[in-house]
Formats: sequence, structure tokens, C-alpha cells
Amino acid sequence: MSRGIKEVFNILIASVGGQGGLTLSRTIAIAAVSEGFSVRTGETLGMSQRFGSVTSFVRMGPQNAVMSPTFSEGMAHVMVGLELTESVRNLRYLSEGGKILAADTVKPPITASVGTARMPSKDELVGALTSVDPEAVIVPARKIAYDVGNPRAVNMVMLGVFNRIFGILSDDAVINAILTLLPGRRGETSVAAYKAGIKWAEENKVVQG
Amino acid sequence: MAGVRGLPERINPLKAPAGARLALMGNEAIARGAVESGIYVVTGYPGTPSSEVIMTLQRFGKDLDMYVEWAVNEKVAFELALGASIGGARSLVTMKAPGVNIASDPILSAAYCGVDGALVMLAADDPGPITTQTEQDDRWFSKLAKLPTITPSNPQEAKDYVKVAVMLSEKLQLPVILRTTTRVNHTVGDVVLGATEPPRKFKGFKRDPPRFVRAGMRWNLERHKWLNKQLEKVEGILNELGISINEVHGDGDVCVVTEGVTYNYVTEALNLLGVKEGVRVLKVGQLYPPPREFLKKGLRGCRKAVVVEELDPYLEEAVKTLLYDEGINIDIHGKHDSLLPMEGELNVLMVAKALTRVIGVPLPKTLQVSRETPALPPRPPPLCPGCPHRASYIAILKGMSKAGFRRDEVPIFGDIGCYALSVEPPLNAIWTEHSMGASISMAAGMKLGGNDKPVIATIGDSTFFHSGIPALLEAVHKRINMLVIILDNTVVAMTGHQSTPSWSVTETGRKAKPVLLEDVVKALGVDNLAIIDPFDVDDMANVVAQYLRKPGVNVIIARAPCALMKVRAEGVKAVYRVDPEACIGCMACIRGTGCPAMYVDESGKAAIIEEDCTGCGLCAYFCPRDAIKEVRHE
Ligand SMILES: Cc1ncc(C[n+]2csc(CCOP(=O)(O)OP(=O)(O)O)c2C)c(N)n1
Ligand code: SF4
Ligand code: SF4
Repeated sequence: MSRGIKEVFNILIASVGGQGGLTLSRTIAIAAVSEGFSVRTGETLGMSQRFGSVTSFVRMGPQNAVMSPTFSEGMAHVMVGLELTESVRNLRYLSEGGKILAADTVKPPITASVGTARMPSKDELVGALTSVDPEAVIVPARKIAYDVGNPRAVNMVMLGVFNRIFGILSDDAVINAILTLLPGRRGETSVAAYKAGIKWAEENKVVQG
Repeated sequence: MAGVRGLPERINPLKAPAGARLALMGNEAIARGAVESGIYVVTGYPGTPSSEVIMTLQRFGKDLDMYVEWAVNEKVAFELALGASIGGARSLVTMKAPGVNIASDPILSAAYCGVDGALVMLAADDPGPITTQTEQDDRWFSKLAKLPTITPSNPQEAKDYVKVAVMLSEKLQLPVILRTTTRVNHTVGDVVLGATEPPRKFKGFKRDPPRFVRAGMRWNLERHKWLNKQLEKVEGILNELGISINEVHGDGDVCVVTEGVTYNYVTEALNLLGVKEGVRVLKVGQLYPPPREFLKKGLRGCRKAVVVEELDPYLEEAVKTLLYDEGINIDIHGKHDSLLPMEGELNVLMVAKALTRVIGVPLPKTLQVSRETPALPPRPPPLCPGCPHRASYIAILKGMSKAGFRRDEVPIFGDIGCYALSVEPPLNAIWTEHSMGASISMAAGMKLGGNDKPVIATIGDSTFFHSGIPALLEAVHKRINMLVIILDNTVVAMTGHQSTPSWSVTETGRKAKPVLLEDVVKALGVDNLAIIDPFDVDDMANVVAQYLRKPGVNVIIARAPCALMKVRAEGVKAVYRVDPEACIGCMACIRGTGCPAMYVDESGKAAIIEEDCTGCGLCAYFCPRDAIKEVRHE
């Protein structure tokens, strides 16, 4: 059910290091290239440690249309957040009318736990998202992932929700990309998480036309 | 997080057939470029954003009959590549910008002797900076070293330009620099593959002192003249070979001169502004020497020019010099008139805003979004759960107070690596982080300067091998009283877990002779040496206290493997759990460790995210109520 795109489509992925934001961006890139799109991703790689803020830019479009690896504030058509604090932190990238898809997980940064900075409540974080996109889709992604047997596959659940809503990539292309990236059992449970994300989107009627 | 880990298992980017179209990261594309251009020796020292070139070749190219190994530092790496290339083999050496400084001495001389087999040097700069200590602009280095330099603007060109560099290098008999920036190295893009070529190995080496012996001043003068002649040929050779890395796009009397990744920003910015005509874009792929003929022709008829580049006004100055020589006087915008900043990376919006001022078109309303976001706690990368460096610094700080010193009395000199993250709260440990190896020499220098309190240098194992050895030798020889702590996590951790000289088998399966830190340290003649597991916090603190009071150069090797590497290899055998009944919410564990697996739950008690805990037990060490207990996995 690939719907394709005629212009460059910008996705911002906001996550905490270790949550699989980079795997998600790479999965989309591989699937998009296999569907004949041009892609660019821009990310901050190169530190082994996890648990820091990670922002990934993913851009796809017709051949030769995508050039810059990043985009600027106000240019994301959609933001996929794997954690609420990071979703709010990256709101400035969302375009007017841009869509927010965010996992409902909250991971308080260590700066909040050692008492050097104040941590907003979960309600405040969700409120910040809905004040920008009243239809923001908040997904119980960790629970869905847990239920299919891979609590770490929050990223794949979100990919399912994303692709069910936007339908840019065919399911086959996405599943192949997941399996190329994550062989073995991790691949299988990731595909299950992807499908569970699609199912959740359908059951909760967050699907647009 | 090295991107190599994320590459498809089943599609081998080095072996996929010509014509295949893959989603490759710039560095993976460069690795493929090496295989497409018959490179045999590949070496370097890890450094973001350059590391994945060698990591990709090591992971996917084990049976390609290439030599692909890390070297102890960039200077040695460059000399290895040079030695290979003067014997006719083709070589590639990779490094990040600060590594270029380390290697600079042999690089400058290499321009005089030249090479026979191609030598391509990847110099990866980092505007932003995203992961580098300075925003060094290596285009100046090319000018200093007098080496031809080219730059790609995307992953496809990153691959293709390796071959261009190889051809240029062999035609000119000079090393060629492939200068990249992070947004090319770490960008994934669609790349169409070309055909591969068998690696070129040693052909022969003839004795030729005027060429290879830099002791003769007359020879050096002659070689300098030769070098300058070679540089004049660069543009002509590229044209002869039919290689167009300098391109003109569009036409008009407003000229935009740009290079590398910024070319993409310029093109997209013009699209966003709806500018379809009246603007001529000159994309420069040949950075050094600047392509005079191309620029002369391309700038003909321009009413004004704007130079869009990251960091310093390198191209801008080249363009100005050229136009002055040509007697052309037009307005040139860029860095000198503050149109664009000299610091940080550029992006589409910044370039669009700058172009509106030069071209005189408005910025579309849709791009003028501004959003207020609530204040959020920052999330800098912390040391991983279970990181041995955390235990080491806790022991160091404890030992300091055991020896009767206040924290503000004894400076802890830091060095380059994961352990530099100890600068953040709650550890607030290191006072400096400067350049590789500098912890030891700067601490020694402060003693020489007259500080009569103790000083501590902390340095990682790879950094010690890289540049710490001569510094420690100096301290020993000058009889400086200091404590040196080598944080031996047995790996180059921060840059993505590369091997060190202490390994007995390298990434490619090559059998190596392990060089042990303790053997090196002993051979240097230090006064006292202890090897300790930093998770024995009290033991290590006692030795620290003792060594701080003892005269001489005292060394502690704090040895425990990197937790991230260990967990990947062995999994987690036990985790820790907080008993909420026993926890009194004092937060001693969180404040003591800053472990990112810990958080404060709704009831104000400490809690541990089980899937993140690696079971080091440090938090339990801090708990006054014994409320944190080990839970072993089956
Ligand atoms: C001259 C130079 N080369 C390379 C780097 C990149 N670099 C940054 S941290 C690091 C790792 C150092 O390893 P080690 O000292 O063992 O510390 P670890 O990260 O393992 O704790 C490297 C290579 C650099 N900053 N400077
Ligand atoms: S990667 Fe290893 S050395 Fe670096 S912070 Fe993590 S555990 Fe520590
Ligand atoms: S045992 Fe404690 S300090 Fe160690 S990793 Fe687990 S939560 Fe962190």
C-alpha cells in the first residue's frame, strides 16, 4: 500500500540514545531506497555512550530531489518521538500543521534525578505536544512492544504507527529493511512490533484519509 | 554509536555488484570507494567522524585481500601509508581533524618526496562542532602542507572521489587529501556502486636520496620547486582525465560559490526562496589549490558574489585574491561582512536567510515558525551504567579526602575519551581535557611551575599508547612528583570500540603481539605501580591516598573492561533492585553515582530501570540502608 510522495518529506526522530532512534532512521532509509526514493539522513553519531539526547533527520523524495542531510526548524512534516521529554525538546523542528507521533515513555535525564534541573510531569509534556498538534498521537509503545515480546522495539511500534498513517512505504519494503538490519530473533520480534503498531493505529482510528 | 553496527547483515556494501543502489553512510561509501579503486593498505586512528571507514572495511572486507588495521596514532598511521605508497602500493589513511595535527610533521615532508602508489588521506572536519575539541578548518592545512585536496558533497561523491583522489595522486605523484565534514561522513544517502579493482601492492623501491632523504638542503630546495610545479598541474589533470568535480549550475549575474555539504544547502535554499533564475552556483570540489581557471570562467560577468562555506573564509579569500589579480572589483559577501557566521555548521534556513539579503527576495512565511518550548532538563551523554570510569573517579575523589586534601586543592587533569564525561555532575571530577596525552604533561608542567600540592593525571589506555608514553617518560626523567592513573578499559571506547595494542587478535582476525601497559610503564622507570580493579573502590581509594603522599612518579592502572563492550559480548548476569520498603529516599545512590539506569520514582524513592542496569553494584555501595540488592539472572 505504498502511496509514494511527490515532494521531499521530512521526518524528525527524537529519542534517547539506546532507544533505537538510529536503527529507526536507517530502517526508513533502506526501505525508501528500495522503493526507488532518494534519501538523506542526518544524525549525530560517534559517541559510544547511550542515554544522551539523539535527534535524527530523515528525508526522502523523488530521485535527486533530496540534497541536504538535515532540515531546519519548522520543516518537519512529522515528528516521531520515542520519549516524551525528547519529543518536546524537538518541537521547534515541526512545521505548521506538522504531525506529532510520540511514544508515551518518560525517561527522566540524570540531570533531573541528581536535582540540578526540574523535570516537567508527564501531563505537562503531553500538554506541550497537544498545544502544537491538538491531534498528536500518543502511543503506549512500550506496552505494545512488551506484549509482542520485545520491550526494546518501541522504535518499530512507532514505525508501524507512522507508516499506517502516512503510507509512504509499502509494508514489504519496511519488513525487508527491518530483516536486513536486524537478522535473527530480534528481526522477527521487530517485525511483530511493527505490525502491532499498525494494528494499534487501526484500532485507535488515528489513521487519516 | 557507530553506524556500522546498523548495516544490513546480508547486503555487503563492499561486495555488492556494480550498478546496485544502496542506502550507504558517507563513510561506508568511502570504504566502498577504497575497494573500487584498488587500495591495499588502509590504516588510521579512530576519531569521529572518520572511524566507520575502517570499521566498515574490517567488518565486511575480511576476505578482500586488503590490509585494514588501526595504528597506534595518526602520525604512525600516516607514515605506514607513506611507506606503502613509496613502494608502489595504494593506501588510504583516515583521521579526524586533531589527528591531522598529530600527523602533520610527516605529512609536510611527504609533499616533498611524493609517492608512487596512490596515497589518499581522509581528513574529517567537524563544523558544529558535534564531537570535536575545536572547529579546526583543515582546508588551511592543505594550503600549509601544499597537498592537493578535494571535497565531496554527499555519500555518492564521497565514494566516487576516492577514485578521483587515487588517479590524481598517481598522476601527480603526491598524496591527496580527501577533506570531508561530519554531514558527509555520517549522512546516509542513496549510492550507486561502481566496479571494484584488485588491490595494488608493493612494486619496488629504488634508492633515490634527493627524493627521500630530507637531510640535504639543496635537495629540499629542488623538491620544493618540483612540488610547486606539480600543484600548478592539478586543475589541468582533472580536465584531462575528464573529471568534473567543479561544476556550474544555473545562470545569472549573482554568483554563489560553495563547496562540500553547503552546496546542498544553497540549492535547497534557492528552491525554498523560489529563485529559479538570475543566480549562478559554482560548486567547488577542488579545494586546494583553488581551481583558478574554473573560478575565473565561472565568475565572468558576475555583478556580485556570495561565498557560502562552513567555518573560515577559505574560499572567500581565494575568490578575492583571484578577482584582485584579474582586476575585477565586485561586491563579495560571506564571512568578512558577517553575512554568515565563522563558527558552527550551516543549514538550509541559515543559507536561505543569507541569500535573501544578497538577492533581495523575502523569506517565505512558512519558514518563520517560532515555538516556545517549556524549560527541560538537559540530557548530555553520561557515563554508561556500570562504566568502570565512574568507579575510578569515585575512588580517586575518596582517596584524595583520605589523604587529607580538599577537592579544590588537587587538580585532576583529564584526557580524551569517555572518562572526560566525568566532568558532569554528580562526579564533577576532571579539571582539564586538552589534547591526547596532555593530562600527564600538563600536570607535570604545573608542578614545574611551582605548585607544591599533589597533581593527578587521568588518561585512558588508548590515549596513553597514542601520546601518553613520551609524556610519562618526561615526568619520570625530570623526577616530578605526581600521580598518574591509567583508566584501562581495554578498548578505544568512545569512538566505537576499536582495538588497542594490548589485544592479541585484531578486528580482522589478525594475530597480534599484545603490548601490556604494565610492561611499558615499568620500562619507563616509574617509582611505584599498582594494578587495581576500580570496582574495589575502597582498595583503590587507599592506594590513591598512599600514592598522593609518596614522592615520585606513581602510577595506578585501573583495570576493568568497558561495560558496554562487556554487556554486548557476555550479556548481563545480574542486576540490582531497590527495595522500596528499605529505601529512605536519601538519594545517596543517585547523587553518588549519577548512573543513568537510576531515577527517582513518584513516591520519591530511588528506582532502577532493570533493562538498563548492568549490575556493577556501585549504587549499593553508596546505600546507607542496604536497600539495593543484587538479583541474579538464571
Ligand atoms: C588526536 C586525536 N585523535 C583521535 C581523537 C578521537 N578520540 C576521542 S576519544 C578517543 C578514545 C580514546 O580512547 P581511550 O583513551 O582508551 O578512552 P576510552 O574512550 O576508552 O575511555 C579518541 C580516539 C582525538 N580526539 N584526538
Ligand atoms: S562506552 Fe564503555 S568506557 Fe565509555 S562510558 Fe560506556 S561503559 Fe564507560
Ligand atoms: S548496579 Fe546500580 S550503579 Fe550499577 S549499573 Fe545498575 S543501577 Fe547503575
